[in-house]
Amino acid sequence: MAERQEYVTAVKEIRYLSEDTVYVGIECPDIADRAVPGQFVNISCGKFLKRPFGIASVNKDKGIFYIGVKIVGDGTKKISEFEEGSKVEVLGPLGNGFDFTGVDKAILVSGGTGVFPVNFAAEYLKGTDTKFTVVQGFRDSSQIILNDPSYVLTTDKGDRGIKGTCIQGLDSLTPDQIEGSVVYCVGPIIMMKFVGQWAESHGLKCYVSMEQRMACGIGICLCCIVKVKADNKDGYYNKRCCKDGPVFDYEEVIW
Amino acid sequence: MSLLNVSVGSVDLKSPLILASGTCNFGRELSEYYDLSILGGLSSKGLTIKPRAGNPGVRVAECEAGMLNCVGLQNPGVDYFIENDLDYMAGLDTGLIVNVAGHSHDDYTAMVRKLDPYKDKIDALEINLSCPNVKSGCMSIGSDPNEIKAITSDLRSLTDLPLWIKLTPNVTDVRSCALAAQQGGADAVVLINTLLGMAIDIKTRRPVLTNNTGGYSGPAIKPVALRMVSECYRALDIPIIGCGGISSAKDVIEFFIAGASAVEIGTASLIHPTAPVKITEDLEEYCSINNIELKELTGTLQLW
Repeated sequence: MAERQEYVTAVKEIRYLSEDTVYVGIECPDIADRAVPGQFVNISCGKFLKRPFGIASVNKDKGIFYIGVKIVGDGTKKISEFEEGSKVEVLGPLGNGFDFTGVDKAILVSGGTGVFPVNFAAEYLKGTDTKFTVVQGFRDSSQIILNDPSYVLTTDKGDRGIKGTCIQGLDSLTPDQIEGSVVYCVGPIIMMKFVGQWAESHGLKCYVSMEQRMACGIGICLCCIVKVKADNKDGYYNKRCCKDGPVFDYEEVIW
Repeated sequence: MSLLNVSVGSVDLKSPLILASGTCNFGRELSEYYDLSILGGLSSKGLTIKPRAGNPGVRVAECEAGMLNCVGLQNPGVDYFIENDLDYMAGLDTGLIVNVAGHSHDDYTAMVRKLDPYKDKIDALEINLSCPNVKSGCMSIGSDPNEIKAITSDLRSLTDLPLWIKLTPNVTDVRSCALAAQQGGADAVVLINTLLGMAIDIKTRRPVLTNNTGGYSGPAIKPVALRMVSECYRALDIPIIGCGGISSAKDVIEFFIAGASAVEIGTASLIHPTAPVKITEDLEEYCSINNIELKELTGTLQLW
């Protein structure tokens, strides 16, 4: 038996979380068992290439994993039209997830659709000794999903939570929440850059989950690159987002 | 698997399926999905004399029935390959084809000099005269029959290793390119590399690819590849390895009928990593039901 396989399976649940975002549960006990937060799956969507999505949650008992899909193009539109029982091809779990080994305290920061992998991370950490704080950033109140009253919530528009970005959310944390924490961040590139800077200025380690247009998702095509610092004549090296990441050390990335 | 045994000149392969360069890296990732020893061979990621970072920015664009890529030959360089990947690939119990790319005539000769000492481990050198995503060398050399012949004959004088010349479809007359390779002493030609294309984002009015253009691959290009294999088969004495949009056993059979002696599978692996497993099973079934060895089909096309 090969270490990895391609799955042909079915959608078990699908529901709208907001006007333009669906939550899809897909049956696959292997992935539900093996996935760790920060990993992703590649999903067929009736287009030529599969699409990558960070895993948002797993239900090991039911053998289902969940992804959140914001409708932005043809592929995500097709996924939003899936129904219970729709056939779907899946590769996963892919990439390297967040490493929480030896981490006593974590700050999980999400921007936009980064809310999904962060949701999985929060669920995962509930079952561990790691204490954690979640900071969620959304554009406005209509975008708020997978929120918990214990989370620090920010909206750009300021119609709910703290007005501003995740940075304002991070600034609102208590010294006790901040000191000794490791920061894990998923969101738009610019947001991750600023969160990384914030972490650095507080002397905290920060890991970011990068996003890039992907083809294979398994490290064979070298299409999805992340520029990282390297001690060579170029001063950088192109790592594969899918296979070497998607989680990278903030300090390693050339922003 | 005997029904699937094929030969490309002096190179015997246990299956007609070779993983195309640039779609299998050096084999490690796909070996997590299936036993690569079922394959006829693997063609390494295109190598250059020095490491290459490849092109910046967006490197892939989805298109109708295919995709564009502009990876730009990102690779660790031939020395790193020899030290870190060659033995791994040689241990996969399948044909080892090393894809050799370059910016200049001298790059190619230097590469072949470096690889020739490892001829016991390597089954063939695939000379990449066709990558469309680098500014010099490759396709710009491979569009000129005189250059193709000159490079091939120079490399011929440097090694006894089988030389497979991978040609570009981005020319008016692919036969003259294939014939030039033959005249230079090539053992086989590989037809075809990707078609130069462009994708446009109507919101930004910019090309999707940061390189502006890229190589089109996938099922969309299969008819072009079949036509070129068929044309070249009738003009050449050396064997052809067919490549371009192959994703099923039926596709493989079509390429054999057109004139291929083996085939390369590329983009199909990016969509379905285990595609070659299914293709192998289906080919075995086809050959068994029809009581035929696959190689008997080569060039059996009857034109109207």
